[in-house]
Amino acid sequence: MRISKSKLLATVAMGALLAPASLHSAVANDDVYADFPVTVKGYSGDKRNSVSYSGQIARHVLHDSLKKLAGKGVGKPDDALKSKLLTYFESGDAGREIVAPAAKGAFAVLQSSVDEISKGPNLAGKTYKGTITGMPNGMTGVELVKFWIDKASAADNGVDEANGYNYPQLISKFIMGAVSYHQAVDNYLDENLEADNKPNDKPYKDGAQYTGKEHSWDEAFGYFGAPAHSLTLTPAQVYAIAKQKDDALAAADYNKDGKVDLKTEMTFGPAYYAASFDKSTAGKDNETKYLHSIVQAFLDGRKVITSAKGEKLTDDQRVKLKEHAASIRKNWENVLAEASYKYAGSVYNDMEKLKTILEANGDTAKVYGDYVKHWGELKGFTLALQTGKENLGETATMINRLIGFGPLLLNQSQVIDLDSKGNYLRDQGLGWGEYMLHMAKLQKLLVDKFGIKAKSNTISGDISALAKSLGASAGAEND
Amino acid sequence: MDVYFEYLEQVFGPLLNPQKRIFIGYLVSALAIALFVHIAIARATIGKAMSGIFARSIWLSRSATADYTVMIVNQAIMMGVAPRLISKLVIATILFESLHIWFDGRVTLLPQTPAWVVATLFTLTLFLLDDATKYLVHRALHRFPALWSFHKVHHSAEVLTPFTVYRTHPIEAVIFSLRSILVQALLVGAFLFFFGDRATLMTVLGANAFLFFFNLAGSNLRHSHVWISYGSFLERWLISPAQHQIHHSVEDRHHDRNFGAVLAVWDRFGGSLCLATPENRPAGYGIKGGSSAPHNLTTLYLHPFSEAAQAVLHPFLRGSKDMLKTIRQSRALRWTALGVLAALAGIMAQSTQSKAAGELNIYSHRQPFLIEPFLDAYTKKTGTKINVVYASKGLAQRLLAEGERSPADVILTVDIARLSVYADKDLLAPVHSEVLLENVPPHLRASDNRWFAFSKRARVIVVSKAAGDANTIKTYEELVDEKWRGRICLRPGSHVYNRALVASFINADGVAAAEKWARGLIANLARRPQGNDRAQVKAIFEGVCDISIINNYYYGKLKTSDKSAQRDWAAAVNLIFPNQQGRGTHINISGGGVAIHSRNKEEAVRFLEFLTSAKAQKLYGSVNFEYPVNPKVEPSPELKALGSFKEDQVPIYRISELAPEAQKVIDRVGW
Repeated sequence: MRISKSKLLATVAMGALLAPASLHSAVANDDVYADFPVTVKGYSGDKRNSVSYSGQIARHVLHDSLKKLAGKGVGKPDDALKSKLLTYFESGDAGREIVAPAAKGAFAVLQSSVDEISKGPNLAGKTYKGTITGMPNGMTGVELVKFWIDKASAADNGVDEANGYNYPQLISKFIMGAVSYHQAVDNYLDENLEADNKPNDKPYKDGAQYTGKEHSWDEAFGYFGAPAHSLTLTPAQVYAIAKQKDDALAAADYNKDGKVDLKTEMTFGPAYYAASFDKSTAGKDNETKYLHSIVQAFLDGRKVITSAKGEKLTDDQRVKLKEHAASIRKNWENVLAEASYKYAGSVYNDMEKLKTILEANGDTAKVYGDYVKHWGELKGFTLALQTGKENLGETATMINRLIGFGPLLLNQSQVIDLDSKGNYLRDQGLGWGEYMLHMAKLQKLLVDKFGIKAKSNTISGDISALAKSLGASAGAEND
Repeated sequence: MDVYFEYLEQVFGPLLNPQKRIFIGYLVSALAIALFVHIAIARATIGKAMSGIFARSIWLSRSATADYTVMIVNQAIMMGVAPRLISKLVIATILFESLHIWFDGRVTLLPQTPAWVVATLFTLTLFLLDDATKYLVHRALHRFPALWSFHKVHHSAEVLTPFTVYRTHPIEAVIFSLRSILVQALLVGAFLFFFGDRATLMTVLGANAFLFFFNLAGSNLRHSHVWISYGSFLERWLISPAQHQIHHSVEDRHHDRNFGAVLAVWDRFGGSLCLATPENRPAGYGIKGGSSAPHNLTTLYLHPFSEAAQAVLHPFLRGSKDMLKTIRQSRALRWTALGVLAALAGIMAQSTQSKAAGELNIYSHRQPFLIEPFLDAYTKKTGTKINVVYASKGLAQRLLAEGERSPADVILTVDIARLSVYADKDLLAPVHSEVLLENVPPHLRASDNRWFAFSKRARVIVVSKAAGDANTIKTYEELVDEKWRGRICLRPGSHVYNRALVASFINADGVAAAEKWARGLIANLARRPQGNDRAQVKAIFEGVCDISIINNYYYGKLKTSDKSAQRDWAAAVNLIFPNQQGRGTHINISGGGVAIHSRNKEEAVRFLEFLTSAKAQKLYGSVNFEYPVNPKVEPSPELKALGSFKEDQVPIYRISELAPEAQKVIDRVGW
């Protein structure tokens, strides 16, 4: 039999294409954060799967909904809106509909009420309770969100142009840290890894199908907000899922039921940002792998716990677990630092545009809106960064001083304080260029302190790369 | 081990690095050119040419061997020195940041110009600046005896090979390095600021494109015995290998010629260009009358230090010797020197002697130089030691955060709005003091006695002396007249001083009238509101505008400034106290109170009382051109010279009550 050259080539090529695909499906289950067996001793129920983090997913949904609703104000105090916002923040009431993420185009969503995901969770109970030093009057995290909710309910579409605040952004970005990041890294991946805390030889609570350690770990994973099958997806796909694009449905719908199950298949805030930086740097010199590193560490840690088969974890196992926890913590922290960096760059770019427009006596409305929005994201993320396990100390003080309590406004004023009734007090702020410079310094500080790499919207360009391209200056050569 | 490999990399790396002169590719191109010259022009055979180029008498001479040794030793030294030099990244960053302040923002030049054009511009600028500064530094190395002591090492080569570039004293290497760091840093910082990430280096094999071609064109032959002249036309533009050989010539007639690296234009401007005509071919290389052992390591490394020291110290040593001699001979001088020493000792002894009777902690928004005279006077009177925490902002938040642990006893601040912040946050304690009630009139203190004014300042109109019509202005209200269109400068409206002024308008005529006034004022602006009060006077001096509104004491300070430029600004304006026929000139206050958690309230009250006493009240005038609040105290002579005036008698707390409304007005009119 004669086989033509081209046929042979085609066969080889097909084989080459199919081999990784089949390999992929063979290991796929192993790469998914799901279906871990029940190991807890003496369990008498009929569950066969010990993974559960629906309370955390419900909180992501509460957050997404709160953010959307915070933009519904009409520019004057609205008690009904305020109490609705508070329902999503602090009550555990039944009957709350999911405002976001709701079905969009072809992107069908399985659940439409919070109760379908989990009954009774709230955000306030899990919000950082320390003092937020980056805003005036020493409010706790919970007090700050409630203060913002009050302001948002009276603002026009959630925005206070006079003082420069975009409340949906402030609330959302802050909660991404003060609830999700804070709970995961400062609680579940911290105290709960100690031997006597949530031990692995006992159910998390009486009658539960999971052990103390299994559930703690799962809840931390839930707070990250990544689809359980993230490792089978590219960062771009995970990103597209959060954006609810039509063609993202196929990537999200892991069980192929035609709908996205928010409990396991959706991308939420923290994972979305992790994916966004990985996506934008893919294939470049400064490529980041935040999403896959974090999900992989969660998965590996979960395997360590499962391998204990319902016994107390040995010291070795806990050491391994803590290593995974440390990796998650560092990567997650960097995601927040990258986001802060990115928005510092956006604020700077907006200011540059605003200056040009002002000098030409143009209409600043559109760019000013962007500026206030980006500043809200910057402030929210930098405050979020300060709710982790470590006290950032001087770094936090410097970050807060560079940003201030409010953006520098077009009339060169800036919020400097709050009075006892919660009114903003303003004064003449810095020079325009000086505040822009603060953004440049903030970016530098974030790189120096956190060693981030993605560096979106860099202000100084790559000053170090350019300096380096000129070659070493030091040398013992004459002319 | 790592250090060893790093060192090998340091020594041999340049052979493989196209950014370096002795990159193997450039050596090969130099060889090719040398062969071409020997064979095509001098008609030599290949064998003869090769043996001429690679003559043992050149490559294994004592001079050349010294070059190799210096190169190997220097690389080790530079490994230690290079990381300790200031980093070009640091300088570039500082420049990049400072430019934001100078231009009050970011300036993007030629935004439509494509990146490759900017890259070309960047590369060309770098090349030109590099070459020009090399010329200047090189010239300085020859000009100044101390520097020449080090540069001499390079010139002591009696035989030239491409490796002679490395015959360089380490001190000279540091000078070269700093030059390069400075030039590159300035360019990187400036180009990134003006052109963003379009600023990139055009490279060939990673090396600056211009330098690549310069090196490829046989730069290594500059240090060689291959005589290549470019001809008299080109040699006015580019330094040929032969021209650089003239630079190394041992002959007197060639001294201080051809300092340039690549371009000859600098030498042309500096009058140091020498063309490589056949008659200029040097008789030999090196230094006439130099060391007897020029290639000895001691001569190369250590002698330059002692020679440089001699060059620097010679005049100084002679001078100090003369001075000692004078002192010895003069009795008066001897006693003076002794007296100075004794006085110094006395001052030091006294500073350790004074022991405080009590202590008082002050949190102050007022600048230290403004309150120190008061503190000194108080300490002198009572013996109480005073500690001051000064900050322009954030003190209220700090006090709030400190809570009951706060060490603060007294709060001092300026402007009623800022004072109200403390009252509002419940950071001030009510004070019971007959003295304060008597010294401070009711409209200048809180109804619950938690804060008191200590001085008054008037918000006055300043007008250009040159603008005759403006000098007739009598009221704030007149400033909205159309005839002042484009003639007024103001600082931003949200500053507490201007906000308080708007509040006083609201108090007098209501919100609508205040807004109408503010809108009219903005319509007359010559430029966007910016800067502080002093900057407005400067703007009038510079002719940007004719009219502004400032606090009276800034005028006084400028007038008596120790900077002559500031005195000129003040001399250009006249001061007008507005609304003398009506409600009076708007005033604001500086003031303070006792911190709520003070553990030393009695002393704190005593200090406040002191601030309202006749003695301190006079100080406000002489230190800062502020008016006394105590009705029994006359303004200081300095203030009287500015003129007397009638003040707006509105209770000052009303100004702070109306501040939020005033802010809204300011926002609405875009001030």
